[in-house]
Amino acid sequence: MRGSKGHLERPRVWFAALALAATALIAAGCGDDESDGGADSDEPITVGLSLPLTGEFSQPGKAAEQGYEVWRDTVNDEGGLLGRQVELIVRDDASDQNTVVADYNALIQKDDVDLLLGTFSSLLNLPASAAAERNRMLYIEPAGGAPEIFERDFQYGPFFTQQATADHQGDLFAEWVLALPENERPKTVAYAVLDDPFTVPVVDALRATFEEAGIETVYDETYPVSTSNFDSIANSVKSANPDMVVNGSQFEDGIGFRRSLTKVGFEPKILFQTNAPSFGKQYSDGVGVENTEGTFFAISHTPEADTPGNAEFVDAFEQEFGEPPAEDAADAYAAGQVLQAAVEGVGSIDDQLALADWLRENNVETILGPLEWEDTGAPIGEFLIGQWQNGNAEIVLPEDAATSDEIIAARPQAE
Amino acid sequence: MTEFIQATAFGLLIGGVYALFASGLTLIFGVMKVINIAHGALLILGAFLAFTLWEQLGIDPLASIVITTPAMFVLGWLIYRTMIGPLRSAPLSSTVLLTFGLALVCEAVMGLAWGNNSRSARPSYFDQSFDLSGIVLPKAQVYASIVAVLVLALLWLFLNRTWTGRAIRAASANVQGAALVGVNIAKVSALTFAVGIATVGAAGSMVSVLYPFLPGSHYIWIARVLSIIVLGGLGSLQGAVIGAMLLGLAEVYTQTYISTAWATAVPYVLIFLVLFFRPQGLMGTRLREDVAV
Repeated sequence: MRGSKGHLERPRVWFAALALAATALIAAGCGDDESDGGADSDEPITVGLSLPLTGEFSQPGKAAEQGYEVWRDTVNDEGGLLGRQVELIVRDDASDQNTVVADYNALIQKDDVDLLLGTFSSLLNLPASAAAERNRMLYIEPAGGAPEIFERDFQYGPFFTQQATADHQGDLFAEWVLALPENERPKTVAYAVLDDPFTVPVVDALRATFEEAGIETVYDETYPVSTSNFDSIANSVKSANPDMVVNGSQFEDGIGFRRSLTKVGFEPKILFQTNAPSFGKQYSDGVGVENTEGTFFAISHTPEADTPGNAEFVDAFEQEFGEPPAEDAADAYAAGQVLQAAVEGVGSIDDQLALADWLRENNVETILGPLEWEDTGAPIGEFLIGQWQNGNAEIVLPEDAATSDEIIAARPQAE
Repeated sequence: MTEFIQATAFGLLIGGVYALFASGLTLIFGVMKVINIAHGALLILGAFLAFTLWEQLGIDPLASIVITTPAMFVLGWLIYRTMIGPLRSAPLSSTVLLTFGLALVCEAVMGLAWGNNSRSARPSYFDQSFDLSGIVLPKAQVYASIVAVLVLALLWLFLNRTWTGRAIRAASANVQGAALVGVNIAKVSALTFAVGIATVGAAGSMVSVLYPFLPGSHYIWIARVLSIIVLGGLGSLQGAVIGAMLLGLAEVYTQTYISTAWATAVPYVLIFLVLFFRPQGLMGTRLREDVAV
């Protein structure tokens, strides 16, 4: 019986040993889970983002995706982030405010991503950044410069990776206009503005500056996003006969408005369009290259810019996609660079608030130039001003970033 | 007065083109009681086809309708045979869901084929205008309106002067009655859907020269086109034409005399008022349900 008892006891010993081993394995497994987010893991760092790949903003959304992809490949080719490869998890928000919130919640709670990058347009970044804040995740956005985005006392961002918020994007242009000799300075101005959080603040700031300087407003209208027909708007502008026209436009509307000005036979001496002309060949293809001459625009990036890493980015982009990067692609790449700098600066991805605080205390070299931020995440810098000259989009302001020596003060078509 | 004439001219030119955009949708609803949410996406597909013919072969976008219209007719027939036909007797909500899905697929396919870049054809007249004593008439808009009137006239003749057209109208008025007198409803439905999509081919050619577009542009157009056929009366071709003209005029008058900010809202107030007093739309007819079903 002893033997028998001993025989009966042996399985208990084995069971106990197995249980101990299993417990040790489970504990080890738990340990692995805990170290997933740490610097010692070999697992890729997952970066979640949602983009408007379909719908109204699909054009910049697709460009941003390309920029993010080039950033990921560049980081991975250089050995990764904290020694770990970077993996992007991209969702499509269909240009919809509700979907973008659902996307970021899913990225954080379901996909369990380590880090976030932002979406495109102020309209989408406004709710998306709130979702990130609720989940205590750092939020870095390549677009979304509407001032109200930075008026919410958020702790985890959003950090806007362009040179200035929307209300300061026309500053250098306004300074240039007011510095013109008296006989060349415009006396009257017309404003036609898309009702969009990224365009209205630019024009509001310009209007305030010009009114204070005594430039008379002879036409001032805001048009909704769904506007397709610009002939009657352009005709009303023509009737007002301003010296200068300011068009707060995103893209398709800017092309439509510019085409309509030509159709109704009106060419102002000075034409400023906020965003549309920055789309390069797509703009000149849309309005006709002969109609681009002298048009001013606000822009954050140019492929010719002499900023650290820009030439390498442009080369990598052209190799990957066969064409020069659009501005939106460059902005997304810069957002990736800012995220990378924060992670490398802190040396860990575990404390998202530490990453945000690091960005508040440091500036970051990007392909857009050095970027730094206020505590709110709003950038402190000067937006570039471009002008179409001889069929090319050139940077004309500020002087130290200019790619052209001259500025066309009066558009030749106006003569 | 010049301003009023100018605004009216812009409104009528826009309305003429809108009428063609909406004609296919109302035709399809009239016969099949299908609200084709993919109409806008197919309109943009037609625009991409016309743009490609212009860019690659130099064919004028408005002349390219002789190619885009038959191509879209064939596509419409295929869509009907593979997707819409099997759901003919399904509830309206099923076909709305199906065609919404089709719109998304169409958008994705266009994105893959042409990319997400904005396009617009620029024939020699794209930014030129006729000047009639100070009244500006953009040439592209004038030519597009003329083409739209011609296509709509051909469509009207087809519906009113051919046996096939009469069969379509009979099916539109009363499906059971048409079947009783020997109309093959399945064939008529397939033909109607194909003709409806063919009109989108012609309309897409016009979009390519009048407006910049990309795969996601269809959302704006489906909203506008649906408004037109609701205003005019679902299923009524004349109603679509009148609705389109009213919407075009309302848009331009609002831009000129009220504010551009209200240009897309005021027309919808107009639609609300019309539907309040005539729920069937301007030219829609009320049928007794026991006769119609």
